[in-house]
Amino acid sequence: MQLIVILGIRLLEGMFAVGMAGSAVVLIVTGIEDLETLFGSEDSHLH
Amino acid sequence: MSSPFQPGNSASNRVRIVVATSVMLTFISYWRAAAIVLNDLGSSAFYAAGIAEQAVGKSAPWFIVGVMLFSFTVRAVYVEGCSMFVRGGVYRVVKEALGGTLAKLSVSALMFDYILTGPISGVSAGQYIAGLMNDIFATADAHGWIPRAVHIMFHGTPQVDVNWTSVVFAVAVTVYFWWENTKGIGESSEKALRVMQITTVMVVILLAWSGLTLLMQAHQSVPLPWPKNLTFSHESLGFLKHTDLATDLAKKFGLLGILIAFGHSVLAMSGEESLAQVNRELAHPKLKNLKRAAIIIAIYSFVFTGLTALLFVMIIPDSVRVPIYKDNLIAGLAMYMWGPLLLRLAFRAFVVVVGFLILSGAVNTAIIGSNGVLNRVSEDGVLADWFRQPHKRFGTTYRIINLVVFLQLFTILASRGNVYWLGEAYAFGVIWSFTFKSLAMLVLRFKYKGERGWKVPLNFHIAGYEIPVGLASVFMVLLSTAIVNLFTKSLATVAGISFAVGFFVIFTISERVNKHKHALHQQQMREHFQLLHSDKVEREGLGIRPGNVLVTVRDYNTLTHLKWALERIDEKDQDIVVMSARVSQFGAAAYDLATEQIFTDYEEHLFTQAVSVAENFGKHVSLLVVPARDVWSAIVQTAINLESSAVVAGLSSKMAGQEQAFELGRAWEAAEEPKRQFVLQVVHPDMNVDTFRIGPHTPSMKTEDIHLVHRLWLNITREPGLDKLHHNDILTEALTRFARDYSGQQREEILKQLRSVTGADPGSGIVEPRAIATTPAAKDADVSDGSPGKKPAPGAADAN
Repeated sequence: MQLIVILGIRLLEGMFAVGMAGSAVVLIVTGIEDLETLFGSEDSHLH
Repeated sequence: MSSPFQPGNSASNRVRIVVATSVMLTFISYWRAAAIVLNDLGSSAFYAAGIAEQAVGKSAPWFIVGVMLFSFTVRAVYVEGCSMFVRGGVYRVVKEALGGTLAKLSVSALMFDYILTGPISGVSAGQYIAGLMNDIFATADAHGWIPRAVHIMFHGTPQVDVNWTSVVFAVAVTVYFWWENTKGIGESSEKALRVMQITTVMVVILLAWSGLTLLMQAHQSVPLPWPKNLTFSHESLGFLKHTDLATDLAKKFGLLGILIAFGHSVLAMSGEESLAQVNRELAHPKLKNLKRAAIIIAIYSFVFTGLTALLFVMIIPDSVRVPIYKDNLIAGLAMYMWGPLLLRLAFRAFVVVVGFLILSGAVNTAIIGSNGVLNRVSEDGVLADWFRQPHKRFGTTYRIINLVVFLQLFTILASRGNVYWLGEAYAFGVIWSFTFKSLAMLVLRFKYKGERGWKVPLNFHIAGYEIPVGLASVFMVLLSTAIVNLFTKSLATVAGISFAVGFFVIFTISERVNKHKHALHQQQMREHFQLLHSDKVEREGLGIRPGNVLVTVRDYNTLTHLKWALERIDEKDQDIVVMSARVSQFGAAAYDLATEQIFTDYEEHLFTQAVSVAENFGKHVSLLVVPARDVWSAIVQTAINLESSAVVAGLSSKMAGQEQAFELGRAWEAAEEPKRQFVLQVVHPDMNVDTFRIGPHTPSMKTEDIHLVHRLWLNITREPGLDKLHHNDILTEALTRFARDYSGQQREEILKQLRSVTGADPGSGIVEPRAIATTPAAKDADVSDGSPGKKPAPGAADAN
């Protein structure tokens, strides 16, 4: 039982750590886009 | 011309009703949209840091800063959702991606979030007010200003019970907004903007003064967010406090400690859902304005909530921060600034005023948001139509409002003014609604391959497949936090799950009942009415001629004005259109509502009565249902689109005919070109009629004024070189001079004179709306110039 709990905790920690790393990159990329939106002339394009 | 219910115009004798499915909205700028969202999001700055520090210790501000930075990415998820759906809120997105069951579950979590927004905001505002009262009493007592008798009565310095005072305050504010929402006030972007302007003044002073304080006096450091610096309270471990994990948790699981602390701070980013709700009303270019609003919201909340959280620990001494100021930290910060006591007290009073404004606004936003979400699910048949029955007098969905407010009052009383408890529970709704939303967006990346206005970045393409790494990352953080919160917030988990399950059961039962009922309803509808779906309100769609008469109806018990119109209008000359506006608030309607969602039981009953009245007169009427955000704009836009010459309305139960005309005139001014003038006729129950012209027109002139102009003309034309002068030249000169005086030093004198003419109270600063129209007989008021007037409750669905 203890092993399952520890595995669950490690899984959550892993998800959190990987998610935070990816989110940090998203934050930087959207931050640059935000600056362009606020101060530059942005052409909206479809993805 | 084919009449709507003319026999033989279709295969049956059913009455044709055109149902417009595009909501008639008044669009707002991104600044106003940001202000509306910040009224909700910004309010968490008043309590989030205190709750987090009680749970995880002195390094809590770093987690608040982390949450606010992470909120930038959650905002990106919402922007992508809104770029796919005009109304990209949780319900719509989750339903599209994951189906009805999970959509109902996610809405249940969202409702928990909304229901708790009101109590936590109201109680928090009460904490600030009660805290100030106690400090004032203490200061007064120290100066000997408290009478001896009062001193004896309180067995010392008079003090109020902060928690129960907060409960009383929160109940009073909630009841106030319950009544305002029952009456049908809209969420005014103007008011939201004003509140945010005042809040910005406070934030600027707060940051500048804090900077000065840090320079002038010693300050404390904020421990870095390492596991060894975390001190979890007994309560903050929830179910884990009974396990081995409770002892030395940080050493055993370093990252888990960080995750738990992060989970205790997530309530700082509540309010993102409001962004999806205001998206529909953003002006063109919608996506760009949405992104601008989202950036403003994110930066503002980061500065306000994130940076002030750090300042609390740096400036307020440890000995008083949690013991005394935990529930009103901004007030505590004001008291420990560098400078004279009087100035600090004055600033604290200002903080309390701002807190009152923004937190009370959040109480209102919570009621409006809950009402909007429940209206939306009700439109999908997930909530029984009984809930959407309009109030007889005000036309609002009062049963939903009653339900929401009852739950909020219950929560306030159950909390007994404990902000920490409310905050912990609140976080449950916040994190789970975000988790459902991000999961749905992730699923839609694979399920919906169509074009999107914008995507959360960090997408890789491998073998023709797109891997949304960025979106998946945000989802993983949210999911892991939500799961950990289940174990560390025991009270929130029990309350949240009970509430969500309760709502889920109500939704599921309602849906089943509705399915059966709607089957019968559809059969009856097929027998009596033929619904014609139309994206726009157009004259051609209704088969009517220009110059028609538009009759607005709302309550089937008051159709006197329809009878009045039918009596007087010859259908050979003019067509009659009977229109009902289904008013929706934020989050309640969308561009893509199904016809049956707009034409409900109530509209069927209303139009059955209207058709019955018309049949008694042996006349034909065209029937039209229009979904609208603002009833006045909807009437004006419909009249313009249909090229109506007149609008006939019943006298409102809550405003005078002149006020109705004034509101319609304002809506006319706000309408886009091309637009045309029309006449408004407000029919009283006794069949007396007030007539108003909407739009610019030649004003009616009194006989004595005409004589005056003529006498002037006679005199002036005797002067050399002026024999060819016209009457209108005199008016032009007179008006030019008047305009010059009005814009110059004689403005006040002119206003005073006009007030004496109109009979308005000069002291009140309120001009009676169009008192010039109170001349006997037919009234002719120019209501379209946008002049200030006594403002009746806006957004009223009461132009029957």
